[in-house]
Amino acid sequence: MLPVATDQIMQAQATMTHALELKAISKSFDGKEALRKASFNVRWGEVHALLGENGAGKSTIMNVATGIYSPDEGSVHINEQPVAVRSPGDAIRHGIGMVHQHYRLVKRFSVAENIVLACGDIQNLTSTSAAASAVAEKAAEVGFDVSAHAIVGQLSIAEQQRVEILKVLLLGASIIILDEPTAVLTDQESRAILAFCRRMAEAGHAVVLITHKLREVLEFSDRVTVMRHGETVLDGADTSGLDVDILSRHMIGEPSLAMDELNASLGDPCLTVSNLVVPSPNGTIGVEGISVSVREGEILGIAGVGGNGQQQLADALMGLTACENGSIRLGENDITNDNVTRRRQAGLRAVPADRFASGLIADMTIAENLAMTRLADGEFGGYFTLSRRTMRKEAEDAISDHDIRGAAPTRQTRLLSGGNAQKLLLARELSGSTRLLVAHSPTRGLDIKACNTVHSLIRKFVESGAACLLISEDLEEILTLSTRVAVISRGKVVGEFPKQEATPEKIGALMMGHA
Amino acid sequence: MLDMSTGITLVRRQSISGRLRALSFVGGLGTGFFITFLVLVSSGVEPASILNEFVVQVFFDLHGLAQATTTAIPLILAGLGAAAAMKLRFWNIGIEGQVWAGAIAATGVAFYDIGPESIRLYVMLLAAILAGAAWIAIPVFFKLRYGVNEIIMTLLMAYVIFQLVQHLLFGPWQDPSASFPVSPHFDDAERLSRIGWGAVHNGLWVALGFGALMWVLLERSKFGYCATAVGHNPLAAKGTGLPVITTIVISVLLSGGLAGLAGGVITSGAEYRLTQFLAHGYTFSGIVIAFLARFRPALVVVVAFLVGGVYVAGDTLKVFYGLSEAIVILIEGIILLSLLVWEFFSRYHIEFVKQRVPA
Repeated sequence: MLPVATDQIMQAQATMTHALELKAISKSFDGKEALRKASFNVRWGEVHALLGENGAGKSTIMNVATGIYSPDEGSVHINEQPVAVRSPGDAIRHGIGMVHQHYRLVKRFSVAENIVLACGDIQNLTSTSAAASAVAEKAAEVGFDVSAHAIVGQLSIAEQQRVEILKVLLLGASIIILDEPTAVLTDQESRAILAFCRRMAEAGHAVVLITHKLREVLEFSDRVTVMRHGETVLDGADTSGLDVDILSRHMIGEPSLAMDELNASLGDPCLTVSNLVVPSPNGTIGVEGISVSVREGEILGIAGVGGNGQQQLADALMGLTACENGSIRLGENDITNDNVTRRRQAGLRAVPADRFASGLIADMTIAENLAMTRLADGEFGGYFTLSRRTMRKEAEDAISDHDIRGAAPTRQTRLLSGGNAQKLLLARELSGSTRLLVAHSPTRGLDIKACNTVHSLIRKFVESGAACLLISEDLEEILTLSTRVAVISRGKVVGEFPKQEATPEKIGALMMGHA
Repeated sequence: MLDMSTGITLVRRQSISGRLRALSFVGGLGTGFFITFLVLVSSGVEPASILNEFVVQVFFDLHGLAQATTTAIPLILAGLGAAAAMKLRFWNIGIEGQVWAGAIAATGVAFYDIGPESIRLYVMLLAAILAGAAWIAIPVFFKLRYGVNEIIMTLLMAYVIFQLVQHLLFGPWQDPSASFPVSPHFDDAERLSRIGWGAVHNGLWVALGFGALMWVLLERSKFGYCATAVGHNPLAAKGTGLPVITTIVISVLLSGGLAGLAGGVITSGAEYRLTQFLAHGYTFSGIVIAFLARFRPALVVVVAFLVGGVYVAGDTLKVFYGLSEAIVILIEGIILLSLLVWEFFSRYHIEFVKQRVPA
């Protein structure tokens, strides 16, 4: 059964009718309302941005549209006809395809094999050779440079995303939903994918762009729907009459805050990295001779396109990876050969890029996560004993001090939202005698409000006389937060500026390797 | 046209309440027992006598209870051993190998009369612990140093040591007065004495003592906290400065040591010599017990006792109903599977979706 025939699309497109409409959708999980009579619609031939904070219900409502969740109330309409979308398979048959934030690809398979896996039965692409030629044809059509025989695990994130998009297109989707497609991309890659969205819309597709980047909304979308706390607060407004202030007011109910100057005086050198070389596994870029220093009262921003050695630099600083050459000094101490515990005792702390992979343990309680670093220092009991009561009591204090919502000492950390989990992580890392914080993409995936909280925590920390090395792929974050900016490219520092000279153009050019 | 259809979807629960957890455990056991019941009835056991054999004769009869307790002693130790390693996601599938190592070591001490008689027994049990730990030290070294898969390595090493057992029993350690491949009987000083209740021996106190020790270690101590953290997320544990490698090494050596002690207790408490059959099936039971007990030492003791009961009932079935020895393993498997299924449904709930679609 193919309910949407091509001529129907053409007809519908011609009249700018609604491709997909979700009416008065309600959905609860375990009694907690995630969506409350939320609505959304996208027309043929437009890019429609779906904007909202984390937990506003953007992903939930799109998961209803793609059949992953079934709504408690409300209806789904395609081409102004009510339909039942009970499974992702149904969604595909109705022409709805979603590019998820976490790609659903088998990394060991080639591109063509992934296409066979996803589209085999539906599109009769049951051999890799058939899939390969379909991939080549579709890639040429939409202007992607993708080799059908490449192994997915060896492709960059941006290339994997293109594979995921091709998959959705080959499945026959004409309504394309992209869940935060630029979250993990560089500026240049982001622009490319957003331009692609525009082209798809001009070719007649309906494109839904889930995002929380205001610039993408204003620059690349025709209309915008804003969600807050599971409700639709702005329903399909034309972007032409909107600006950043109006959008952020709708999103968080308050205008975005401008940052004041950092109120800190420069002190002694805190971190001195000289000629650091860190090898990297399987041929990716490692650290290939970096020398930087950070003084007390300073935030050094390391800007760069993802995958240029940032991860290895962060890991080497924390002691998770061995250095091949060079030295790391914290104040007067050489910590190059120290283990994680000793580095932490010397006052080094870290916010890793993926908070649940290497910072917090999702399946342990909040009190246990808060105690983790200090436990290694021998707190909360002797060598053998453990005072869980003290752990709980101190966790209660930390939760109220840092306003961590939805938290209780004995609650599982997994249940926290992204922003609150990050607050928990910072509460732990910034406690005690911390001298240097290595923050790697500290606001990745967070909404504006949580972002502001994280930024002001880091600023307050540095104003108290400590130092921060901020590694971020988000240029806006680097420029708002840093007092000095260095640019990393292919494992080397290719430029360093004081804040006043650091313009997006200069840094951007260095990041892309044009200088 | 009105298209009315129902669909079934699985929805993951955000959190699982303690009541639901308990319900799924009880439900899993219930379903497992029910299927067991059907299997036994279909193989010719009278329905009425199943209850008698399994419950009355085992748990409400002093003689049966003593037998179940005797069987449970090494099972407690093997279960504790499995739990210690599996809590850290180190899959010690070769528990049987470490049981053999312990049995060999204990027998060796007895065979060569090592140490004064007054402490011979302690030397035997200590040797059993060390041998079990030494046998698992090899896979843990290869795992940590070269990333060799511990599942395959521990499993295969169990076959290696079984060859050693056969070599000893058909060669230097064979009892000259027996025509079977068994070692000579131990002297009295080399035996765990009985406590005066059936065949129950002092190994009971050893097992319960280690149960208590492991409870303190895994549930109350700083070490247990580290073990939990390493089990859930070794990368985060390392990043926060917890001693990951030390925790893994200690837990895994403990695992092997406890399994080795099980071997020592079987030889010195029940068999009084080394035979070809004494460690048979301990791997599977240890893993089942640890899993059913959710790697919690106090529960391991309780579950080992119940599994011991199943063994005793299985012996009766074997003798009086002519069922094969595999019946015990079958019952364990059925109960484990039904618990797993129920656990799955405690994590997800089923939604029946009714959608009216006017088309």
